[in-house]
Amino acid sequence: MDVEFKIKRFDGEKSYWQTFNIPVKKGMTVLEGLYYIKENLDGSLAFRASCRMAICGSCAVKINGKPRLACETQILEIGNKLEIEPLDNFRVIKDLVTDFEGFFAKHESVKPYLIRKDDNYEEPVELIQSPKELYAYYDFTLCVKCGICYSVCPAAATRDDYLGPAAITAAYRFNADSRDEGEKTRLALVCGDNGVWRCHFAAECSEVCPKQIDPAKAVQKMRFKAAIEAIKSIFR
Amino acid sequence: MWQRWFTVKGRSLFSIAFSLHRLTGIVLTIYLCMHLAYLTSIRMGKEVFESFIATTVTPQFLIFDILLILAGVYHGVNGLRLIIHEFGLAYESRKSILYISVAIALIVWLIASYRMYVFVMGV
Ligand code: SF4
Ligand code: FES
Repeated sequence: MDVEFKIKRFDGEKSYWQTFNIPVKKGMTVLEGLYYIKENLDGSLAFRASCRMAICGSCAVKINGKPRLACETQILEIGNKLEIEPLDNFRVIKDLVTDFEGFFAKHESVKPYLIRKDDNYEEPVELIQSPKELYAYYDFTLCVKCGICYSVCPAAATRDDYLGPAAITAAYRFNADSRDEGEKTRLALVCGDNGVWRCHFAAECSEVCPKQIDPAKAVQKMRFKAAIEAIKSIFR
Repeated sequence: MWQRWFTVKGRSLFSIAFSLHRLTGIVLTIYLCMHLAYLTSIRMGKEVFESFIATTVTPQFLIFDILLILAGVYHGVNGLRLIIHEFGLAYESRKSILYISVAIALIVWLIASYRMYVFVMGV
């Protein structure tokens, strides 16, 4: 069966739509379709992918208006006409490839790693954690940094420096980890007007996250903690 | 930039609720300014104020009042929904809460519109 791939392309100057017809077998993914085009029809088509198994988060694109991971979306599940565009809220570099530098910088800025006073890499000690403590943050560890949540967020759409759902979720993931001691540091990093207070709970991030992580929940939990901390600081 | 508050293509009901919240917020802000200007007219004398009232509390203006009530009720009820979630509560039931809040807004709007209709038309 032939399926139409209408792709929004960008050559650095102008953006235009190009249509390709490709033969599709049951089970074939959108990413395989893009590889088919690149290998057989137009080698200049640019897109990003790596793991092909929804782990690396590289292949997020908009398919028929909805952002998804191309490698875990089957073509025939969508239909026989596909419109593929780069993610919103990111600068397009070429075709489907968008600039993730700012997104990763925001992620890094919330210190997404364990902060401990007794860090000792020479003689590391095992940090024991109960299953209950693990489940307090486990879901949020599943984030693949695909940027899909950021691409649909109206708060990010209207302000470039908004940290965005993924970075705040990462901050929450470490704050909720019983082994971590960096809660105050991270709260200070996310409690600005470009952080948790910028979120207006459109909750679209939770609707689209391919890992069903519920980033909106993490942002609200973080916001609640930031509010408590702000109130406490008045009495200090 | 701000136009992106109103992107709803391909989005879920939550984004539509967000866009409507912004839209009704803008409408209510404009209304608030007009309302304050209107009230201030009383400083120019009772007659001026009453002539304003006579122009706007009329059947021709009823449709605007009804739309305004819709904007106000939606903004208020949706705002309460957001506050519930922002207090860290009930994210898991956010879909049902969205449906319930829209239903409450519609019911309150219909009752209020009916009462205004009765008041203005004098039926
Ligand atoms: S929270 Fe979900 S949508 Fe956002 S970057 Fe992580 S995996 Fe992607
Ligand atoms: S290619 Fe790695 S997530 Fe799709």
